[in-house]
Amino acid sequence: MAKPAEVLQGTLDLLVLRTLECGPLHGVGISDRIEQVTRGVFVVGPGSLFPALHRLAEKGWISGDWTETENKRRVKTYTLTASGRAHLTAEKRNWKKIFTAMNRVLAEEPGA
Amino acid sequence: MKLPFRRDRVEAELDAEVEAFYQTMVDRYIERGLTEPEARRLARLKFDPPELAKEAVRDARTGAAFTSLARDVRYALRSVRKAPAFAAVTIVTLALGIAANATIFSMVSRFVLRPPPVGDPATLLSLHTTHQGDQCCNNFSWPLFADVREQAKSFSGVAAYYELVPASIGGTGEPERVWGQAVTANFFDVAELGMAAGRGFTADEENLPVVVLSHRLWQRRFGADPAIAGKTITLSGRPFTVAGVAPPSFRGVDLILDCQFWVPLGTLDQLLPNTSNRESRLYHWIAVVGRLRPGVTRAAAAAELDVLAARLAQAHPESEKGGGFIFESAGSIPPREKSSALIFLAAVTLVALLVLAIACANVANMFLAQAAGRKREMAVRLALGATHRHLLHQMLTESVLIALGGGLVGVALSFWATQALAAFRLPAPVPLDLSVSVDWRVLFYAFLLSVAAGILFGLAPAWAVTRSTIGAGRMWSLRNVLVVCQVAMSLVLLCSTGLFLRSLENASQIDIGFRSSGILMMAVDPRLHGYAPARTTQFLDELQQRVAALPGVASAAYTDSVPLSGGHRSDGFHIVGQSSSPINVELYMVGPGYFETIGTPRIAGRDFANESPAGPKMAIVNEAFAERLFPNQNPIGQRVTGGGRTYQVIGVVKNIKSRFLGEDFRPVLYRSLAQDIAGDPSFEGYSVLLRFTRAPGPLAGAVRREIHSLDPTLAIFNSATMEEHLRDALFLPRLAGALFGVFGFLGLALAAVGLYGAMNYWVSRRTREIGIRLALGAQIGSIQRLIIRQGMALTAVAIAPGLAAAWALAKLFTSILYGVPPHDLAIFTVVPLFLAAVAFLACWLPSRRAASAEPLIALRHE
Repeated sequence: MAKPAEVLQGTLDLLVLRTLECGPLHGVGISDRIEQVTRGVFVVGPGSLFPALHRLAEKGWISGDWTETENKRRVKTYTLTASGRAHLTAEKRNWKKIFTAMNRVLAEEPGA
Repeated sequence: MKLPFRRDRVEAELDAEVEAFYQTMVDRYIERGLTEPEARRLARLKFDPPELAKEAVRDARTGAAFTSLARDVRYALRSVRKAPAFAAVTIVTLALGIAANATIFSMVSRFVLRPPPVGDPATLLSLHTTHQGDQCCNNFSWPLFADVREQAKSFSGVAAYYELVPASIGGTGEPERVWGQAVTANFFDVAELGMAAGRGFTADEENLPVVVLSHRLWQRRFGADPAIAGKTITLSGRPFTVAGVAPPSFRGVDLILDCQFWVPLGTLDQLLPNTSNRESRLYHWIAVVGRLRPGVTRAAAAAELDVLAARLAQAHPESEKGGGFIFESAGSIPPREKSSALIFLAAVTLVALLVLAIACANVANMFLAQAAGRKREMAVRLALGATHRHLLHQMLTESVLIALGGGLVGVALSFWATQALAAFRLPAPVPLDLSVSVDWRVLFYAFLLSVAAGILFGLAPAWAVTRSTIGAGRMWSLRNVLVVCQVAMSLVLLCSTGLFLRSLENASQIDIGFRSSGILMMAVDPRLHGYAPARTTQFLDELQQRVAALPGVASAAYTDSVPLSGGHRSDGFHIVGQSSSPINVELYMVGPGYFETIGTPRIAGRDFANESPAGPKMAIVNEAFAERLFPNQNPIGQRVTGGGRTYQVIGVVKNIKSRFLGEDFRPVLYRSLAQDIAGDPSFEGYSVLLRFTRAPGPLAGAVRREIHSLDPTLAIFNSATMEEHLRDALFLPRLAGALFGVFGFLGLALAAVGLYGAMNYWVSRRTREIGIRLALGAQIGSIQRLIIRQGMALTAVAIAPGLAAAWALAKLFTSILYGVPPHDLAIFTVVPLFLAAVAFLACWLPSRRAASAEPLIALRHE
């Protein structure tokens, strides 16, 4: 169970947006997908997932609609919006920059 | 409480969404072969509880602060409904504290904060002259006013007014004496007053008989006639044309005098004939206001006036040398009275805050006791996922809500209290408007105080509850500290109360030097009805004879001013032929038989006996006068001079209190009314005094009939018995005594209830322990002693700092106490003992309850 404090807030938003880039998903789907792709490193429970979803919806990056699952259960499915897509592109670039920079710092092992 | 529709919908959607998430997980576990209960358990184990998820979403949403506040308020209202008695007691406790503060603040608002009802009050200044070596300030002489008006460039307009002009007003009904002001023609323009009807004065009306009426006078005597402008009314028998009506709130620029009409300065001679030389630079008689020119700062205006003062000192060294100017916002407390008025207001504000602090401590203690019972509720809410911050917010919301309720009730109480304050009249022969009321500033102050109080008394218990550390047995638990503070504060209050009650008692027993009862007084002002001085004397003589002949009247006399009216006239006096510095002497004019009627014993010489107006002037002086000017000499036959007149002393009488009860005896010189009425007439009319031996009620009517049978047009005023007159003279000690009496009683009651509550709580927490002690053979008496010892220990701890604070506060009161030293030993011994006795009672009651407990029941308790 990932406590909200353990995942950087920006990271969680990026994770959710990236997950929705491949197509609309409902809450459980997003949670499952993140767990799968990160091979269980990130487990996002409802306590951190729902606040993130509502935060992103309020910013207009994703939008939620009520749909029915194959089990005839009504769930809210989230879709990436156009502005969400633009934001994701910018965030990806930003993340890569940070990632490369961090790697460079970590590569300079003392004595190596 | 109804919440907005949108929120309900959003909330329902969130519920559904979170529910669907768990349901999907459960479905999945069932697909994998688990039974439904197992699936449900696993879903809940694996993920955060749903409530926490929802709460996290609510916090993340924009406007979360607002919706959570609404939720807290709703929750708080529910708790209040669940315990209405608790809410009622706390609200009433706080209401008493808030009411005390709101009432005092209504005085502060009225006398310190309220701007005068003129246009743009920020740029209207009251100007005063100063003189080197003088304490404070004076009015302007006419030439000095003209200099400032013509030369000071900082002001766009400078106006002057003569502060009080009496006039008898004709029209419908019995003639009535009213007070007004004589003003320069630009007065209403400088004040920028919007008139209720008609207009102010035009520049060419400086000497014309025109008048502006106060809104009240217009309504009262002229039936609010909308076409009053242009009509003619009579003032003191002379026709005046009404120019306009002032706005309802306007009673003069200075906010304390209560004026009813305004006439141009040029007509002053018609209303106040034969007064001193108004053109002289030595006669400072007019008040001045100036309107700052736009863009000119006060500092620049002050600098310009300094330069002007220096220039005038050179041009007129005989009168203006060493002179200067000061100014302040128009409508401020007159500079002379400012410091004592501010000390009084500061002292009572401080004391009112003390009452509120005690009330807060009480309510905090009640909340603490209640919080102990709510530990369970809080624990449940914490387990359900509420954070400590949530609970803290919610408990604070509850206490602020209670405090606002207290504020509301308190303001209602202070509406009533400000009306009760109106019963205190300042002793003064002139009309003063001292009414106070609850205005928007008071409401705002009460609101701020309520919120602050709510946070203050809510914080401690909220903190204690959410930390689950509610001490019950420890000596320095929060509850005990609160009780100690309360007892200490109520000791401060009680000491102050004691001082002021003794002051009131002393003031009412002060030797005033004349009869304090059995005298009836009534005033007329024949001069306003066009009487020449000789005719006034003749009128008073005849009235004296007629009134003295009434059945039930022992003797009668007349004077220009009854003592203890707050000051009348005084002048510097010295012995003829000596150039020693003059002493300041109170002046009275009296007729024959005055001392016998008022009951001031004559100790040497003779009384007046119909002195001839043209003959050498005679005077009777008091002992203080004789001691100051003629130590170890016989004053009879000596000649003294002052105010441009010389008198021969023919008698000496005992001292009297002349202006105020609290004063040391001042030198007094009594003049013969017949001799001085022409040269120095009174502005305040003349009073006839009579000593009666029967009920005064019907007598007053008889005296009125005698006056009107002599002249039916004369207006009668200031009709009172000496008891009534002295009650007004006791204004300050009565006001202080009443305020502190109420506050002291409130503080004591609150502190006693607080101590009782604390000890009661302590007993109920330790019922079990007491049971064990009793079961083990402890004596009932020893249990009682234990409890009382605990309570008295708290009281003893409180008394030391309380006494120190009271001692320090008492110093502040020195100037407003009558005949009591601020550190009166009796007060500072009796009050702590009294408080200890009350504390003992507050501990003894719970101790009896504990001692009467059956050991077995006590053991089963909890």
